[in-house]
Amino acid sequence: MIDDETLDRQLRDAAPYIDDNGFTARVMAQLPARQREPKYLRAAILLGLTILGSAIAYFVSGRGRFVANGVVELSNFPLWLLFVFFFGCGLVVGAFAVIFAIRRTPEVRDLARFRF
Amino acid sequence: MPLSDAEFVARVLVDDDHHAFAELVRNHQSTVRGLLRQLTGSDVALADDLAQETFLRAYKNLRSFRGEARFSTWLYRIAYNCFREHARKRRELVGIDEEQLAREHDPQIVDPALRQDLMHALSLLPVHERTAIVLCCQNGLSHDEAARVLDIPLGTVKTNVLRGREKLKRTLAAWAEG
Repeated sequence: MIDDETLDRQLRDAAPYIDDNGFTARVMAQLPARQREPKYLRAAILLGLTILGSAIAYFVSGRGRFVANGVVELSNFPLWLLFVFFFGCGLVVGAFAVIFAIRRTPEVRDLARFRF
Repeated sequence: MPLSDAEFVARVLVDDDHHAFAELVRNHQSTVRGLLRQLTGSDVALADDLAQETFLRAYKNLRSFRGEARFSTWLYRIAYNCFREHARKRRELVGIDEEQLAREHDPQIVDPALRQDLMHALSLLPVHERTAIVLCCQNGLSHDEAARVLDIPLGTVKTNVLRGREKLKRTLAAWAEG
């Protein structure tokens, strides 16, 4: 009687490759049509709303005086505090970037599962 | 350098790239159709219908593919579910029970002299053993992966593979003697 390895090898060899013969085309013909949403529509809306919001904030806050005040106040901060502030901002932004990258990319999700 | 399944999946998800999905179908159609042909007892037309349904479901549910298993394993699971649903509908329509379905391919009631090759011997196995053999021995899935595809305990997969192998060996040995 043949052993397991030989049997498995024979089974693999015996499995015929099935030619496509239009199978893929038939599947693709049944897929729902691609959503033709303009690619930059979302970006344009976000940009437009940002500009509108900024403009409103500018005029409501006395033509942006708060920005000048903010810069003046920042310049009064000690150097180490400024460093901590910007370093903290960088960490928060970096953390969000990593989280979104992991959530959106299967390859990165795979890397994240590695146990070192 | 050819792209991996994960890269094609990402392209479909991000850009709804139909060309990328076509590549996935092209790369996996042979194994999926082969598995379904084995499950349906070499009913080529039915197997191809189920394979089409498999890929359509895969497209619609691609977001649920988390990359925890291989893409092929995920596809096999969908294919097996399609087959199970079809078999259940068929049972409801014709009134065939599980035992009857298993007996249809029982090697003891089929003349082995008529069957000469390995694929025929495989088609004589009961469907649960044949499925386990096709997944583990022919398509190289681990027992653990096959258990996930078939949604049955790991021990059951091991038993089915063991029994299927033994039956195949016995059948092939009997033919060789005959």
